[in-house]
Amino acid sequence: MALGALTAPASKTEALARAQQRAALVPDLLVDAKRLAATTINGWHGRRRKGIGENFWQFRPYVEGEAVNRIDWRRSARDDNTYIRDREWEAAHTIWLWADPSPSMLFKSKGAQVSKESRALVLMLAMAELLSRSGERIAWPGVAAPFSSRNGAEKLSLRLVDSPAVSGPDLSMVKRFSEIIYASDFLDAPEDIIQHLQPVAERGARGHLVEICDPLEEIFPYSGRQEFLDPETGERLKVGRAETFGEDYRALFIARREELRAWASRFGWSYTLNRTDRQASECLAKLQLFLSEDRGLAA
Amino acid sequence: MIGLPLAFGAPLVLAGLIALPIIWWLLRLTPPKPNQEVFPPLKILARILKKDETPHKSPWWLTLLRLALSALVILALAEPVLNPQNTKLSGEGPLVLIIDNSWASAPIAENQKRTALNLINAAEASSRPVILAALASDGKVPLGPFDAAAARERLAAVKPEPVPGDALETATLAIELAGENKANEIIWLDSGLESKDKDEALESIGESGFKSLSWHGPDALPLSAVTAAENGAETLKITIQRASGAADTAPGQLLALDEKGRQLAETPFLFTGSETSLEAELKLPFELRNDIASVRISGERHAGAVRLLDDRMKRKRVALLSGAPTDAAQPLLSPLYYIERAIAPFADIVQPRSSEISGAVTEFLDAKPSVIIMADVGSIPAPAETALKDWINKGGMLVRFAGPRLAAASDDKLLPVALRRGERALDGTMSWTVPQSLLPFGETSPFAGIDIASDIAITRQVLALPEPSLSERSWADLADGTPLVTASEQGRGRIVLFHVTPNTSWSNLPLTGTFVEMLRRAINLAQAAGGGALLSGQTVLPPFRAVNAEGIITPPAPTAQPLALKAGAAPKVSFENPPGLYGNAEGAIALPLLGKDDRLVLSSAPKLPFPVTAQVYQSSAPQPLKGAMLLAALALLALDCIAVLWMTGAFRSWRLGAAAASLALVLLLPNADRAMAQQNAPAARTQAVDDATAIEAISQTRLAFVKTGDSQIDKTSHDGLFGLTVFLRDKTALEPGDPIGVDLETDELAFFPVIYWPVDAASPMPSANAIARADAYMRNGGTILFDTRDQDIAGFELSGGGSPANERLRAILDGMNVPPLEPVPSDHVLTKSFYLLSDFPGRYKGGDLWVEASANAETLTDRPVRTGDGVSPILITSNDFASAWAMEENGNFLFSTVPADALQREHAFRTGINIVMYMLTGNYKSDQVHIPALLERLGQ
Repeated sequence: MALGALTAPASKTEALARAQQRAALVPDLLVDAKRLAATTINGWHGRRRKGIGENFWQFRPYVEGEAVNRIDWRRSARDDNTYIRDREWEAAHTIWLWADPSPSMLFKSKGAQVSKESRALVLMLAMAELLSRSGERIAWPGVAAPFSSRNGAEKLSLRLVDSPAVSGPDLSMVKRFSEIIYASDFLDAPEDIIQHLQPVAERGARGHLVEICDPLEEIFPYSGRQEFLDPETGERLKVGRAETFGEDYRALFIARREELRAWASRFGWSYTLNRTDRQASECLAKLQLFLSEDRGLAA
Repeated sequence: MIGLPLAFGAPLVLAGLIALPIIWWLLRLTPPKPNQEVFPPLKILARILKKDETPHKSPWWLTLLRLALSALVILALAEPVLNPQNTKLSGEGPLVLIIDNSWASAPIAENQKRTALNLINAAEASSRPVILAALASDGKVPLGPFDAAAARERLAAVKPEPVPGDALETATLAIELAGENKANEIIWLDSGLESKDKDEALESIGESGFKSLSWHGPDALPLSAVTAAENGAETLKITIQRASGAADTAPGQLLALDEKGRQLAETPFLFTGSETSLEAELKLPFELRNDIASVRISGERHAGAVRLLDDRMKRKRVALLSGAPTDAAQPLLSPLYYIERAIAPFADIVQPRSSEISGAVTEFLDAKPSVIIMADVGSIPAPAETALKDWINKGGMLVRFAGPRLAAASDDKLLPVALRRGERALDGTMSWTVPQSLLPFGETSPFAGIDIASDIAITRQVLALPEPSLSERSWADLADGTPLVTASEQGRGRIVLFHVTPNTSWSNLPLTGTFVEMLRRAINLAQAAGGGALLSGQTVLPPFRAVNAEGIITPPAPTAQPLALKAGAAPKVSFENPPGLYGNAEGAIALPLLGKDDRLVLSSAPKLPFPVTAQVYQSSAPQPLKGAMLLAALALLALDCIAVLWMTGAFRSWRLGAAAASLALVLLLPNADRAMAQQNAPAARTQAVDDATAIEAISQTRLAFVKTGDSQIDKTSHDGLFGLTVFLRDKTALEPGDPIGVDLETDELAFFPVIYWPVDAASPMPSANAIARADAYMRNGGTILFDTRDQDIAGFELSGGGSPANERLRAILDGMNVPPLEPVPSDHVLTKSFYLLSDFPGRYKGGDLWVEASANAETLTDRPVRTGDGVSPILITSNDFASAWAMEENGNFLFSTVPADALQREHAFRTGINIVMYMLTGNYKSDQVHIPALLERLGQ
């Protein structure tokens, strides 16, 4: 009586069958994504407003509590007030989306609503929907070059069906001033993940890491004699008394997350956690916040 | 099995052990099946699991457990028996079984009996009758032949007896019986102790018509026995024997017990090498040695290990007789004075009522003394002499001292040596000789080892006629070789003669410790009063105490017969006369099991004309092990179940259980604490003052008042003391803290120098406990200022009626130790301790202030104050001080004085200040009168 299972065949050899299955999955997801996007649509209309960009938008008085380094000293020197220079939201923003298609993402436990892969896809397509609606350019490494379209999500999903699943995407296209939303379960060694993302961060792109996590992975409720199976490598591991490892495991699991989070915050990247037993919209709302947030480095 | 006395009832089942390897193989093949789980973060988990190896097969210890379980079941089914016993008989006809149940058989009686039972069972199997004879018996029990059931019954009645077996007699009876019944097989179950009697019995068996003898005996004789006890002058000497052939060293413990079996002393002894006999010494004060009723070898359970000591070893009764007229006016000259003083600590003294010697001797002999001491008795009347001689022959001891009368007497029979007539003076004016000292005592003398005082000087003595045996009879010699003390044995008794007087007229010997010691040694040699039983000519003594086969002292068995004493022959232990005490509570003699000459020798199989098989008793009974093994297997099975359950994680809810248990414990513990607290409640009450309160209370001097329970009065008291405190701060160097109300029942009173107690008739009477606490406070140096506050109604009256408050005060004081009181005299310290005061008004005026009457105080004209120590523990007023002092925070007074007079209030405060100063400084003011003198001395 297993607590968790893989929602799709994990064999890599059946790529075609995988693609067909995904094709069947995506329209559903799209509808789902549209529903989600409708809930967060407010505040995305009208790009003629302050935001991250390069052009001057307005001077406004400094309000106590704001970062001091944002003060425009030249303007402030002219009179007794202190001013902050706001910039206009740059329209020419490219946002890269990526959802981890690796077999480990196919896992869904009893307590979860959907599999991790499904949740990641839903989130990414929802973001695609939201971004294309506001005219942003979206892209998917290895699948779609940056493009702008009213129906960006549909187009992206079509392209996803055609393309093979790549677990380590080529991120060399992600340039400065663009953003990347990277959804994965981050179960690989943190060093590998960091090594993969470090060049992007060093180029000056901003990233938003979204960890999709199954509740089972976090809680580790197993006890007694267990045989664990790795969906990626097929490795098996027998454990005598699983409950004795719970504590150590949870500590390691959290440590991994914290390491990534620390790394992300060092570059001003955001790190969002979404458990598959929670609503996807929670995560969506957070992402929206992070995206609209001025990271304060613009000056 | 090899090396183990183990046999199997069904050895074929052991073939099942061959199956063990198969079981092992099967067990190793079937590990428990794990639960399968997909788990994506396996890499993370794997990092932890590196330290824990997951077995592919069931763990080795589980396999081992199960193998042991199977092996145990197979072994148990084979019906193993520990110490199996197979007894085979060879002969025909009745089986003759002779059991040596003499005293030495007690430690091995179990084995002996089991062997006998086996033999009877074997005889039953071949349906042979049994002739059963026990060596120690009264000879009246039928010997058989019995069938097996009767033989078993008879065997059950055979038990070790505390006597040497009467082997020859029993053997003769058995042989006769065997001859009648044509028995040709005889079995001898020996006790292991060799005796001449038994040898003879076996010899006579050899001469009769038996064809085989099966001889069973123990392989060793693990006995040690007490064979003699001798009361030496200093120690009780116990001879202990052990069996020959025991070559190793064996430490033991010898216990001395009193009549009730309480241990008085113990002494270790150690047999070394092949030693078989040793002497243990019990060194005890003589008085304590008297109480020893028996000695016992610790840890040995047989009659030989115990020896009863009779009255002959006890405190002696000594009769004193003097030839000189007693002169009460000059006791130091009395011949008996020094003897009496010397022997009183360790002997009972009998003095004659009759002044005539013959009558006195008769009196003495009735009192049955051990020793008669005669000081300077010259001639003994013939009837008395005969009686005395008779008494000595039976064991009495006569100690005589010389003197002018003895020296002048002629032809005295009751002397150890023949004497020259007259005495020899060593320092007379006409003599060349000088006073003599003593030679060191000879080795054989009973006095050996006594320290001789260096200043002993013998100035006169009676001289013995020289004869060959004189030196043997001499116990002590003078420096010139003439005997000072001689002794000779007469019959079983003894006569001792000191050749000097027992007073200081002939020597200073009686003044020395040597004299005391010599007398003590001499008297110790005498037989005790119990000898009295013998001495009085009694020849048949009833049994009084017996030692049973286990060495326990018991009342005599019904089979025990009176002991007949025959002259010249020591009484012998027999079945009728078991070892023990004979006589009565007045006096008894001990009949020991073993004599001085007895030796413990391990017996061996005899050599007879027909074949003799010798066997050793088996030391333990056969024990079937099937049940125990099956139980063990069951336990292993339970263990296995637990192990399997544990491995499959069935106990994971145990954490919950453990948590619940600890929770229960946590819930219980405070209760336990509370229970403890309840137990310690009285103790806790005294420690109710926690440190913080105590420190706060003593870090500042405070005035205190007793809370009456009436809030109005309590507030007035508080405000009054507050007002006084303010005044004290203003006017004096004392800066008291805020006043405090105390509850007499619970609060610690010791912190306050003075407690103001407004007496209120309306509030409840303080409890006895509160009054007791207040009393204790006063006794420990505190002062209570009682205020009846009713001067407007009536002043305080010590006697007769009065106001209700007065009555109440009287009721309170009833429970206290109140000293005599007096109104403050005009020269009392209170009138001068800070202000000069002539009266002590409060809110009211005119009431006296009462203090402890200073009884010893003297009023000196040159002093302004009466002297006297201490501070009155009690002050009583009726002037309502507190109301006069009562002050609000802002300095307004609460009550007007009666009559309204500012000066009266001022005086009321001065009174308060004087009282507080008096409390704190005591009679310091009365000592101030010395100041001028002190200043003068300091040179001012």
